[in-house]
Amino acid sequence: MSKRSGITRRGLFRGIGTATLVAGCATPKAPPPEGPAQTPPVTPGVTLGPGPAPLQFELNGQAVTTEVPPSATLLDTLRLRLDATGTKKVCDRGSCGACMVLVDGQPQNSCMTLAHDVAGRKVTTVEGLGAGHDGGQSPLQRAFVERDALQCGFCTPGMLISCTALLARTGGAAPSADAIQDAISGNLCRCGTYPHVVAAVKSAAGGGA
Amino acid sequence: MAGADTRHTLTLGFEGALKKVSVATPPGEPRPWDADTKTQVVGEAVPRVDGHLKTSGAAKYTHDINLPDMQHALVLRSPHACAVIKSIDIKAAENAPGVSACVALAKASDRVLFVGQDVAAVAAATPEAAREALARIQVEYEKQPFVVALEKAMQDDAPLVHTTAVKERRTEGDEPGAGGGAKARGNIRPAPSMKKGDAKRGLRQAKVTHEAVYTTQVHTHTALETHSIVVRWDDAKQARMTVWCSTQSIFSVRGEMAEMFGLKPQDVHVITNFLGGGFGAKFGASAPGSRLGFIAGELARLSKKPVSLLLDRREEHTCTGNRPDSHQRVTLGATEGGALTAIHVVGHGSAGIGTGAGIGRNAFGIYTKCPNILVESADVFTHAGPGTAFRAPGHPQGAFGIESALNELAAKLGLDPLELRIAHNEHPVRRRQFELGRDAFQWADKRRRAADQRGRNTRMRTGVGVAASIWGDFGRAKAASVTVTVTPNGGVEVRNGVQDIGTGIGTVMAQVAAEVLRRPLSTVTVKIGDSELGSSVGSGGSQTTSSVTPAVRNAAEQVKARLIALAAEALEAPAAKITWGEGGVASARKGKSIEFAALCKKIKGESISESATRPQTYGSHPMKFLGSPLYQIAGVQFAEVEVDTWTGVARARKVLAIHDCGRVMNELTLRSQINGGVILGTGYALMEQRVMDGRSGVMLNANLESYKCLGARDVPEIEVLLTEVHVGNNSTGAVGIGEPATIPTAAAIAGAVMDAIGAPVRALPITPDRVLTALGATS
Repeated sequence: MSKRSGITRRGLFRGIGTATLVAGCATPKAPPPEGPAQTPPVTPGVTLGPGPAPLQFELNGQAVTTEVPPSATLLDTLRLRLDATGTKKVCDRGSCGACMVLVDGQPQNSCMTLAHDVAGRKVTTVEGLGAGHDGGQSPLQRAFVERDALQCGFCTPGMLISCTALLARTGGAAPSADAIQDAISGNLCRCGTYPHVVAAVKSAAGGGA
Repeated sequence: MAGADTRHTLTLGFEGALKKVSVATPPGEPRPWDADTKTQVVGEAVPRVDGHLKTSGAAKYTHDINLPDMQHALVLRSPHACAVIKSIDIKAAENAPGVSACVALAKASDRVLFVGQDVAAVAAATPEAAREALARIQVEYEKQPFVVALEKAMQDDAPLVHTTAVKERRTEGDEPGAGGGAKARGNIRPAPSMKKGDAKRGLRQAKVTHEAVYTTQVHTHTALETHSIVVRWDDAKQARMTVWCSTQSIFSVRGEMAEMFGLKPQDVHVITNFLGGGFGAKFGASAPGSRLGFIAGELARLSKKPVSLLLDRREEHTCTGNRPDSHQRVTLGATEGGALTAIHVVGHGSAGIGTGAGIGRNAFGIYTKCPNILVESADVFTHAGPGTAFRAPGHPQGAFGIESALNELAAKLGLDPLELRIAHNEHPVRRRQFELGRDAFQWADKRRRAADQRGRNTRMRTGVGVAASIWGDFGRAKAASVTVTVTPNGGVEVRNGVQDIGTGIGTVMAQVAAEVLRRPLSTVTVKIGDSELGSSVGSGGSQTTSSVTPAVRNAAEQVKARLIALAAEALEAPAAKITWGEGGVASARKGKSIEFAALCKKIKGESISESATRPQTYGSHPMKFLGSPLYQIAGVQFAEVEVDTWTGVARARKVLAIHDCGRVMNELTLRSQINGGVILGTGYALMEQRVMDGRSGVMLNANLESYKCLGARDVPEIEVLLTEVHVGNNSTGAVGIGEPATIPTAAAIAGAVMDAIGAPVRALPITPDRVLTALGATS
C-alpha cells in the first residue's frame, strides 16, 4: 500500500513540454507530442511532514521503501538516499533536462517533481533502461555508443530518457530529425552532441543515419 | 643516456603537397609515423571504449561520490560587488544542528571585490542543515563604489578595483606564450603588444582604410557538472588525503592541495574517473573565483569527516571563470587593388578582477602577407568574477574583430572577402582549406543569391561568411608518463593519470597500443583518471592527445621490443630477424612463428611492463606557429545564415568546418569534438551573454533558462572536412583540435549576417535588436 501525498508542483512544469523553455530562440515546429503527465489525485485528510514521511514506489522494476520529507525532490531522493546517481543534477530548476526520468512511462524532470508525488508509481532512470536487453543495454543505448552521441556524458542520462520516450511514442518507427530535435529540445548539452544524438536515435529505430 | 640524434627521411605534408623531409629524433625514439605509414586501428572511427558506462549511468563523476558519513559543504558568498567587511561571526553556525565544521574565509577589514566572493563555509550532515547554518553567519559590510561595465571601468574617475598589484593566474588552459603585463593605470593594465613592421606608416600609405569598434560579450563556460571536490583525510594524523575532483588537470589539483596543506604530492591521491565538462575553467584545486580545494580540505580537517563541496548553477556562472568580453578598435589599410598595408588593433577586455582578457593571435598571425601589424591589448579590471581560460582563450573574440573588419574592408574595395583572405594567408594548408570550402560550400553561388535577395529586399535573407583559426601544436615533452603492460594471459593494459574531459582520450590511447602491438582493440584495457597511474598533462590548450599518444606509442614499442626478444629466444633466431605480424604473431625468417598467446605465456614473472614519455616536438612541416619551433594548426569555417528582416532573428543554417589536426587518431570522436566547437561558437555568436546589473553588480541570468546555450533546435547542419597533415612533430603525428574547432565559428556567422542584410553587426551576440538596428542603418 502506498500513501499518496496531496502535494503537487505546477502541472506547467511537468513533462517534456517544460523543457522547450530552454530551447532559446527556436520555436518547435510541432507541439509536444503528449500533454503533461497525469497529476496524482489529492487524498483528502492526509497530511505529510514536516519531517520525513514513508514513501513507496517502484524504481527500475524494484519496490522501494524509504522515508523523505515532503519537501524532498525526486532527484535528491534518487541521488542522496537511494544512491541512484545516474540521474544528474545540473540546474535544479527544470531548465536543462539532465535529471529526466520516466514516471509511468512519461519523461519528466525529477528536480521539479516532489518525491512523494511518485508514491505508488513506476519510475525508470537511466540505470533501468537496459533491463531485459542483451548485454544490459537497450538498442538506443548501444546506438548512443556506436554513433558517439556522448562526450563528457553528463547530459546523456537525460538525453536517453527523452529519446526512449520518443521511440515509445513512435512505436519504434524511425522519427524524423525534426521530431528528434523536438524531443531533446529540453535537454541541454554543452559538449555539442546533438547531431550525433539525432543519428543515434535514427539508427536505433532502424532508419539509418 | 645521451646519444646522437637519429635522422629520418619522412614523407610529410598533406594530400597533393607531400614531400620528403629530414627530421632528427632523439635516441630511443621510434621512427615517427608519417604519410607513408598505413595504420589499421589508429584513425578509424572506433566507438569510445567506456561509452557503455556513460549510457548506463554507471560512470561515477565527482558529483556522484557518496562516502560513509560524508558531510555537505556550502559557501557563504558576498552579496556586494565591493565592500569592506566590518565584522564576521560564525559561532551561531558552528552551533547549528547537524553542523560538523565551519570556517571563515574572510576577516574584518578584508575587501570583497565581486558578488559571489568567498566569505565563509560550513559542512553539515545534510545540504539542508548546511543551508540553515549558513543563514546564521553574521557579516557586517561597508559598501563601497563599484563598476561592472568595461567602458565605465576605463574612465579616469571609475572606482578602482585593485589597490595592490595583481597576481596573474595562468593555467594549462592558457595559450603558451600569451599573458604578462605592465603596471596598471587606473583599472587598465596593458599586456605585451604583438608587432611587425610599422602599422602607422602602413596606414599612411593606404589608399583605402576602414576603422570600427567591435565588441564581444562575457561568455560563461557552463559545464554541465559544476565545479566539485570531495576531500577525505586518510589517516588520523591527517598526513594523507584522497581527493575526488571534477578537474581538467589531476596533477594541478594534487600539487595545489599538497602545497595548501603542507603535504608531499605523493600523499595526495586525486581521482577523476569521469568529468562532466570543463572548457578551460577546471584547472587547479580551486576555481578561479573560489578557493574550493582549501574549503573542502579545511572543513574535512576540522570535522574529521569526508566533505563534499558541489557548487550550484548560480555559483558556477558567477565565480568559476568566464571568457572575458572585448572592445576592439580595428583599423585596416589597403591599396586600391586590395593589398593590405596595415592591421592595427587596440583591444580592451575585462576578466573581472582577474587577468587574461587578451584577443588571441588572429589579427597578428593569419593574414601575414600584410607587412605592418600592431596588436595592442589591455586588461580592464571590473568588480566581477574572474575570467579564465575558455576554449581558445582570446581567439574567438579576436577572430570576430579582425574577420569582421576584413569583410567591411572587402565591401569598400568591391572585393570578394574570401579572395581577400586567400591573398593574405601564407599557410599552405589553410590556403587549401579556403579553396576546398569555396567549392564545397558553393561560395560564389550563395553570394549571388544573397545579393539578389538584398536587391529584391526580401523578408527572409540568406548570407554566407568565412573565417579562419590559428593555434599551435603545444604537445608537451616529458609531461605524460604512460605505462604499457602485457601479462602472460595476453592482456594489454595502458595506464596514465590523465583525465577524460569528454574527448575520449582513453580510447585513442587504446587504439595506439593496439596499433603498435597489432592486437585487437578489445584486448586492450585502459586505466586513466587517477594520480597513481603516472604523471600526465591537463586537458586543455589542445595538447592532450599530442602529449599522451606519443608516450603510449613509445611505451608500447618498448614492450614490443621485449616481446620480440622473447620470441627470438623461443624461435632460436636473432631478434633482428623477427618480424611482428598481424595479431601479434612473431615470425622468424625460416617460416617459424609463434602466436601472441603462446608468446605471452613465456613471459617470466608477472608481466612485461614499460613506461615512456615523449620528447620535445621535433618538427613543424609545413608551417611554423609565429616563428616558434611548433607547427601552426590551420582551420577554416564557412557559415550560412538565414535572417528574418522583420523580426531580426538570425539563425545559423549550415557550417562547413575544415580542419587539420595532424594525423587523425579517431575520426568518430574527432567529429564529435569539431561539432562541439561549432555548436559552442554558434551559441556565442547568436545567444549567450552574461548580463550584469550595473546598479547591484549582480549577474541577472545566472541560470540555464535565461543564459541561453544552444539547444538541439538551434544547431546548424554541420559538415566536417578533414585536411590531414603529417607534420613530423612526434611519434604519432597527433596535434590538437579542441580549440581550433571553436575559434572561427562566431566570426564566420557574423560575416554571413553581414552578407545577408548588407550591414555589419559589430557586437556579439547577434541578437534580434542588433540585427534590426543594423538594418535600420541601411534604410
